[in-house]
Amino acid sequence: MIVEALADFLTLSELGRVVVQGLAKSALYVMIASGLTLIFGLMGVLNFAHGSLTMVGAYLGGLVMVLTVSQSTGVVGRLGLFFVAIVVVFGALTILGGAIETTVIRPLYDRPPIYQILLTFGLTLVVDEIVRIVLGLYGMQPLSDWQAALATKPQLLREPAALGPVEVRWLSVFEILLGVLTVAAIWAFLTRTRYGLYIRAGSEDSEMASALGIDVRQVFTVVFALGIGLAGAAGTLLMWDVAWGASVPLAAETLLPAFIVVIVGGLGTFRGTVVASLVVGMTDSTMTWWFQNYIRFTGLPELTLFLVLVVTLVVRPQGLFGVEEVGGH
Amino acid sequence: MAISTDTDTQSAAVTGLDWPTEYLRAHLPHLALVGLLALYPSIYHLLAESLSLYEAEILLPGVETMTAVLYFGLFAMSFDFVSGYTGYLSFGHAAFYGTGAYTVILVANGAVPLLGPGTPFVVSLLVAGVLAVLLALVVGLVSFRLSGVYFAMITLGFAQVLYVFIRGWDYVASNPRDGPSVGPTHPEGFQIGVPGVDQLNVAIGVLAGEEVTVLGHTLSGTAVSYYAIGAVVLLCYFAMQRIIHSPFGRVMVAIRENEERAVAIGYDTYRYKLAAFAVSGFFAAIAGGLFAGFRRSASPENSFYFLTTGDALLASIIGGFGTLAGPLFGRLFDETVREFLSKSGQGGGLLPYLRAGLGEETLATPVVGDTSLGVLIDTLLNGHASLYVGIVFVLFVLYVPDGLLGTVRQRVGGTLAEVSAARFRDAASESETSDDATGGDEQ
Repeated sequence: MIVEALADFLTLSELGRVVVQGLAKSALYVMIASGLTLIFGLMGVLNFAHGSLTMVGAYLGGLVMVLTVSQSTGVVGRLGLFFVAIVVVFGALTILGGAIETTVIRPLYDRPPIYQILLTFGLTLVVDEIVRIVLGLYGMQPLSDWQAALATKPQLLREPAALGPVEVRWLSVFEILLGVLTVAAIWAFLTRTRYGLYIRAGSEDSEMASALGIDVRQVFTVVFALGIGLAGAAGTLLMWDVAWGASVPLAAETLLPAFIVVIVGGLGTFRGTVVASLVVGMTDSTMTWWFQNYIRFTGLPELTLFLVLVVTLVVRPQGLFGVEEVGGH
Repeated sequence: MAISTDTDTQSAAVTGLDWPTEYLRAHLPHLALVGLLALYPSIYHLLAESLSLYEAEILLPGVETMTAVLYFGLFAMSFDFVSGYTGYLSFGHAAFYGTGAYTVILVANGAVPLLGPGTPFVVSLLVAGVLAVLLALVVGLVSFRLSGVYFAMITLGFAQVLYVFIRGWDYVASNPRDGPSVGPTHPEGFQIGVPGVDQLNVAIGVLAGEEVTVLGHTLSGTAVSYYAIGAVVLLCYFAMQRIIHSPFGRVMVAIRENEERAVAIGYDTYRYKLAAFAVSGFFAAIAGGLFAGFRRSASPENSFYFLTTGDALLASIIGGFGTLAGPLFGRLFDETVREFLSKSGQGGGLLPYLRAGLGEETLATPVVGDTSLGVLIDTLLNGHASLYVGIVFVLFVLYVPDGLLGTVRQRVGGTLAEVSAARFRDAASESETSDDATGGDEQ
């Protein structure tokens, strides 16, 4: 039975599909988690509101798409508008993030780190409820996915694509491309720009950085804003994926995997986050395959992800690439 | 603390009072609070029903809500016991609450081996507590190797594993996503009291609560549930308070303040933390058991889910982190706001009041664009209490980090009991030394 199942799993077409889906999931996870890890790495703030802001991004992105896309818009037009939507959402949420940092996070830097967890947890309640109220005004259901936004997805991304013997979805390919693009952009920003240098210096030793004349406070604001912007951009992508979709519960659905990715990778290391999202994404797609074919337990993929978290923390508490001192060791 | 123990020994000598009187004096605020809570159903009944003060009904939470405040307050207290006193944020505390709730229901459904559906409620509560202690030991053995954010995350991880597992395990309920409810094997209400002695038991529950006549005064089922659950919560509170004030509790505070120093002094902090976690898990499970016993059903969302821990966190912060009693007040505050802003309730709540009070024409007045005032208040007040609770919470974190009780204690310079007892002593000793005692420092 097990041998049979394994043989089934290890065929080229099945394994290929699992790998491509795993990469697509990894791409989504890295997009959701990179903002979180940037913020934690520099400021030591574990942002509980990250999921809620991803959810806001999904709705905003959906709004841009619904307003601009008409029945006759073709594939290229829709994809173009999608990038416009990502830029708009990224901009809007960056501003929102900056506002949040300057008004409510800034007074808390001198307090124990627990207060930042508490504050951002409170923000989650407020943001989720505001979204519910707005949805209520427009007569939309907060709990189910926003179908009108899903409908703006071009026909091409609904169709299966054949890569040799492996049959995948075009959407997966699209997600992988965007994920790679995001990682490349963040990596270039961190290592190739002056501001990236400030951020890395601040993450290493913020007192020393400020002694060298870097305005660390300003860097904090910028990083928090950019991190929130990234959350929003990730949300925009999730809006097109039927497995996620724009809905209020998306906040919790994205927050917990993002935590897993960030912790497994090591709090505050971008490289760790990239590797961890690959690990988590692959585990997720593998377990999803086993659930769909052999093991009939609904929570199997989710359960395994949390087990990955627990096992990592037991075996290597600082995460795959983490530094021992970060996060209270 | 050191000061108060000093005055303790002094004052007994000075005032010459025997210890029961001294003890009662020292606990006057506690007695007053318990008394107030005990009178609450009567006060509510008097104000809201006999005098039909509509405003009272809007502002005061109903007795059923108060019962929920009590058992959830106990959960929040147990959360505060470990998180507030040792400084280790137990973000997976809902696992213990859920264990308690599910154990009670599964025992009543005859789904737990060795325990039939006829097992007394008190016994299944204790079983739930013991199970939670075992769970806490397993989780704690691994988790206390970490600290800070990592500890919060690993406990969250464990709790979510359980949550996902329980949500998919069809042994616990026919539809595990909706959670179990008490089935036909246990039609009668859960009884709190001495097991085996029928006269010393009362049934609790929203519908199953039994009426009791005391001194010619009939108490409704709701009120009886309130008192019975309140008694258990009070007992648990005393137990936890006793532990906090014991040498063991001092070590817990030492761990919070400076763990390295506690280790240096020679305490095996790992064991202390583990024990504190287990104790806290025990009381969380009792709270969960009371919740399940009262509601007769539970769902993964309102027991094992991480947002349940979030609610306890909310209560603890609003009430005062590291004050033990504070989380109960925090929960009371939270529930009052929620009930005040919910549309239904038993006639209570702001929305029905505004609707009744404002009149048709006022409600139809357009405020913003075509949106009428009626639609606007409906949108803002109908079931969106989380928004206001969230805002209040954020404001507390920013401006009142010590919470309600913590701030009060800071203002008066000690716990209320200590301060009031000290005032009494001062007054007593002054009147002894000079007959023209000034009541000046008694306010």
